[in-house]
Amino acid sequence: MSNQALVDAEWALAHLDDAKVVFIEVDEDTEAYAGNHIKNAIALNWKTDLQDPVRRDFVNKEQFEALLSAKGVSNDDTVVLYGGNNNWFAAYAYWYFKLYGHGDVRLLDGGRKKWELDGLELVSEVPNRAATKYVAKDQDRSIRAFRDDVLKAIGTQNLVDVRSPDEYAGRLLAPAHLPQEAARIGGHIPTAANIPWSKAANDDGSFKSIDELKALYEGAGVDLNKDTIAYCRIGERSAHSWFVLHELLGVKNVSNYDGSWTEYGSLVGVPVAVGDEPGTA
Amino acid sequence: MSGCGAVVGGVSLDNVDITNQAVIQGVISSGNAPASVGYARLLDRNDEFVAEVPISKQGEFRFFTVAGDWTVVALVPGANSRTQVQATIGKILDVDIAVIK
Repeated sequence: MSNQALVDAEWALAHLDDAKVVFIEVDEDTEAYAGNHIKNAIALNWKTDLQDPVRRDFVNKEQFEALLSAKGVSNDDTVVLYGGNNNWFAAYAYWYFKLYGHGDVRLLDGGRKKWELDGLELVSEVPNRAATKYVAKDQDRSIRAFRDDVLKAIGTQNLVDVRSPDEYAGRLLAPAHLPQEAARIGGHIPTAANIPWSKAANDDGSFKSIDELKALYEGAGVDLNKDTIAYCRIGERSAHSWFVLHELLGVKNVSNYDGSWTEYGSLVGVPVAVGDEPGTA
Repeated sequence: MSGCGAVVGGVSLDNVDITNQAVIQGVISSGNAPASVGYARLLDRNDEFVAEVPISKQGEFRFFTVAGDWTVVALVPGANSRTQVQATIGKILDVDIAVIK
């Protein structure tokens, strides 16, 4: 797959020692990096580095600047993100870097899983990058949706629920690798199409072809000429789907609702659909 | 806010009420020993992806779900295998999977 936003292992191997290319591991398992990682890669912790410690929100512009400055990332560096589980959290970080306007950010196709399954080298040495003075831009609100945007979108825009079918229907409240004790209702936002994020990935975690990805969305009845909001449970899987739609398929006006079902499914007075059908506005 | 993230080997059962959910867990082995690198993937009755976890260094994995028919796919470098299971609420189902390369 040829796309500026995506690099393959061959490209990565040729740039492992390039000082202007920063490989960053963002993993669902935040201890994976400590075990081993791609040579010269640094790590970001999706929770402690990228989320506000008190409010349910991202770190702000100043916090993001301080984080990347301390990590030794410059504004003109090419940032290559990778992680486990089909790049689930790496895609979230990619969206995050775009949100704060980083110029050149890419995703390693297949992420850590494909790298591991292909038997490519992982090392334990941690690189030492000199601190920088990173300057972030204001958040790009065109790629981030809030709950009011979602309510307005019911029946007028594309809503894409990228969770598994059982979560969409309300039979499961969380992905099956997590306990199901969450205290909130199950279901989905009325009119949302269910296109699980995982359908965009091959077994090895790499993305499917452009033709396959286009067929995936159009086959589910999504009119790619309309504005689209993607959501999941907390906005990470939907960042993966946002990457597919916005970065690989080049669809305009796609945003990620990072409040996602944990927020929507706890709101008072909003419409909810249960079962396998999208429901009506 | 807990994440959607997969914990290596699966989330611990400590402090988890399993009376209202079904647990599918086990060990993936390869070459007569636990696999140290690989992934366990859970598919639903329609073969749809539901979740995936990196296995622990001892080949362990764990899923939390509801009653019904599920498929566990074991992925290790160079090979994979599928195992069908039936889960029951309130029960821990142990599934050991040997992947043959």
